[in-house]
Amino acid sequence: MADAVMTMEMIQASQVGMKAIGAGLAVGLTGVGTGVAEMGIGAAAVGAIAENKDFFGLGLLFTVIPETIVIFGLVIALLLLF
Amino acid sequence: MLAPKPMSRVLIVASRDQAEPIIGELYREHLFHIEDYVDQGREGYEGFKIGTPLTGATEASQELVKVRAIENVFSVRGEDIDAKQKLSAPEIQKKIESDLPGIEKEVEDLAGARSKLDTKVKEYEQKIAELVPFKDVPVDLALLRGYAHFSVLAGYVPKEVTLSVPHEIETIKGKERLFVLVVVAAKDRAQAERELQEAQFQSIAVPEENGTATVRTAYYTEQIASLKKEIGEINAKLAAIKESHVDLLVTCEEAFRARIEQTEAPLRFATTAKVFVAEGWVPAERIAELSAALDKVTGGKVFVSEQPVDTAHDNVPVEYNNPDFAKPSQLLMDVYSRPTYTEVDPTLVLAIMFPIFFGVIVGDVGYGLLMLALCAGLWKFMKGDEARQFLKVLRNSSIMTIIFGVLFSEFLGFELPWAPLIYSRHLNIGVTEASGHGAAIAELLIVSVWVGILYVTLGRVLGMVNHARQDHGDHRVKAVLANLGWIMVMWGILFGIWSMFPIPLMPNMTAMPIVAAGLSVGIVLAIVCIVLGVIFIARDAVLEVIEIPTIISHVLSYTRLTAVGLSSVAIAMVINYMSIGMFINPGLKDLSIAGIVMIIVGVLIFLVGHVFNLALGMLDGGLHSIRLHYVEFFTKFYKGGGRKYNPFGMKRKFTED
Repeated sequence: MADAVMTMEMIQASQVGMKAIGAGLAVGLTGVGTGVAEMGIGAAAVGAIAENKDFFGLGLLFTVIPETIVIFGLVIALLLLF
Repeated sequence: MLAPKPMSRVLIVASRDQAEPIIGELYREHLFHIEDYVDQGREGYEGFKIGTPLTGATEASQELVKVRAIENVFSVRGEDIDAKQKLSAPEIQKKIESDLPGIEKEVEDLAGARSKLDTKVKEYEQKIAELVPFKDVPVDLALLRGYAHFSVLAGYVPKEVTLSVPHEIETIKGKERLFVLVVVAAKDRAQAERELQEAQFQSIAVPEENGTATVRTAYYTEQIASLKKEIGEINAKLAAIKESHVDLLVTCEEAFRARIEQTEAPLRFATTAKVFVAEGWVPAERIAELSAALDKVTGGKVFVSEQPVDTAHDNVPVEYNNPDFAKPSQLLMDVYSRPTYTEVDPTLVLAIMFPIFFGVIVGDVGYGLLMLALCAGLWKFMKGDEARQFLKVLRNSSIMTIIFGVLFSEFLGFELPWAPLIYSRHLNIGVTEASGHGAAIAELLIVSVWVGILYVTLGRVLGMVNHARQDHGDHRVKAVLANLGWIMVMWGILFGIWSMFPIPLMPNMTAMPIVAAGLSVGIVLAIVCIVLGVIFIARDAVLEVIEIPTIISHVLSYTRLTAVGLSSVAIAMVINYMSIGMFINPGLKDLSIAGIVMIIVGVLIFLVGHVFNLALGMLDGGLHSIRLHYVEFFTKFYKGGGRKYNPFGMKRKFTED
C-alpha cells in the first residue's frame, strides 16, 4: 500500500465491499446447503417416480422442501445489499 | 365449489337379454362409473357370478391389435390427430369391411419387406466392419486361408514382435497399435500363438471373402446404398398410405376400442343365469336423465335404484366441481393428489392464486408477452387433454405476469414510461448514482409475509372444516381445536412481535397500555394465545408441539415471492447493463470494426441472456408458486388420495353412435 492512511471514502467503499461479500456468502453457502439436502431427496424421488409415476407430485414436493434454505439466504442478501 | 360433485350410488338390474342395449346406452351416456363386481369365490356359494363377454369381443380384439400394429408402423396416435369428420356406425362398418383388410395387407407386406432390407443392411455393415483391419492388405483375401501346411494369423499387437519359429510377417502401422499378418508352418502354429500371446496379440478372424478388402468394402457400400434406396421407396409408399388412410385408421381404432369395452363390460357385472346387476356411481344431478334413457332403450324392462351412500366407508369416486376458469388447475391438483369425497377441494384457491403468485414472481410485461407467444405456439403441437390444461394454466399465468409487469412497470428489466403503481422492484444496477427511487424491498418482503400469514391461517381454517366433516366423537373436537391452536400460536407470536417492535405495514402494538408486571396488553394477549394454542395442539398429539417452529419457517417461506422475483429482475437488469452499457453503447460511439463486433456481442448477450432468464423465470415462477401451495398450504388441511371418477364410455372424437 502506498499510503497507509485510509480516507473516509475508502472506509465507505470497503464497507460496501464487505456487504457484498456477506451477501454473496449468504446466497452461496445456503445454495450449497440446499444442494446437499436436495441431492439425496432428489435421487430417491426420481427412483420412486421411475417405479410409480403417480409419485411425481409428492416427489417434487419433497425435493423442493430444502429450497427454503436458499430463499432465506436470498432474503438476507437482499436485505444486506439494499 | 370447494367440494367435489355430489355422487349417488346406483344399482341397475335387468334380465340378461337386455344387457346389450343397456350397455350400449350406458356407454353413450358416459356417466356411469362401474364398481367392479368381485367374485368372493366362497365354497358352496351359488349366488352371483362374474358375467361373460358379449359376442364379438374376440374378433374386435384381434382387429384392434392389427390396427394398432399399423398405427405403430406409421407412428400415429389418435390423440395427435384432429378429427375432420365424425363417421356414423354403419359407415364405419362399411369401411372396416371394404377398405381395412386391403390396407392391412399392404402395410404388413411393406413393413415386412422393409424389415428384411433393414436386416440385410445391418449384415453388410457388419461385414464392412470386419474388413476394416485388412484395408491395407494388398492381397486377395482368398489367398489368406485354405492351406494344408500353413497357418495364417491376423491381429493387433502393441509393438513389433519377433518369433522363434520360421515365419513370414507383414506389419502395417496403425495409430496406436500394429496390425500383423503372420504366416507360419502348420506344425509351428501352437508355438507361434504362444509367443504372440505373450506380446499381447489380439487375434482377428480372416473374413470369408474373395478379393481385396478395398474392393469388397466398395462392393458392400454399393449394396447398402441400393438397399437404402429400396427402403426409401418403401417408406415413400408407406407415407402415401399414411397420408390417405390415417383418418380411417384412427377412426377404426376408436370404433374397435368402443366395441371391445362394451362387449367386455359384463365381466364387471354380477350375473345369475337370468339376471345381471351393475353397480356404480353417477353424479346425483344426472340420475333421472340416465334412468329415463335406460327405460327408453329397454322399453321399461330395467330396474334402476339409488342406494344410500355411506361417505365414511364407501370409496366414492371424485369428480371435480369447478367453474370453467378453474378447470385447468385441476391438473395441478391431480399432480399432487385428487381430493377425497368428503374433503374441501382447494382447486378454486389454486386457480386464483397460482397465476397471481406466478405473476408477482415474474412480473414483467416483456416476459409475459413472450410466454403468451410461446403458449400460442405450443397450442398447435400439444393436443392431449392434459397438455391443453397445462397450456391454459401457463396462459393464465402469463396474463397475470403482464398485469403485474404493468403494475411493477417492468419490461425485460427496463422501466416502462410510468412509475411503478405498487412497490418498485427496480434495483440500482448499472447506475453509478442512485437515481431517485430504488427497490422498496422491505415493503415487498412485509407484504409477502402478510400473504404467508393469511395463507397459513386459511389453511388451518380449512383444516378445521375438514376435521369437523370427516372425524367423529371425541377426536373430532380435539382435531378441530388443534387446528385452532395452530392459528392461535401463530397470531400469538405475531402479537408478541408487534408489541415489541414497530414494523411498517403491520399493526403497531408497542404503545398499548401496561396491565401488570410491566407487560402490555399486547404481550399478555400473545402469551394467552400461545399457551392456549400449545395446549390445544398437545391435546391432539403431543409430538406435534415440536413442529411449532415450522409456523415461522412456513410464513417466512412466502418471502420467496419477493426474493425470487427480485433475483429475476436483478438478472434481467444485469443482462441489460452488460449488453447495452458495456458493449452496445461503447460500440456505437466508435463505429470501427471493433465497435461493430462489440455491438454484435452485445446483441448476442442480450438475446441469450433474456432467453435464459425467461426459462429460469418460468421454472422459478411455476415451481415456487406451486410449492407454496403444496408445502406451506396443503399440508395444513389436505390429504388427497381420492379415486378418480372414470365413467364407462369415452369421449368420441372420430365416431358417433
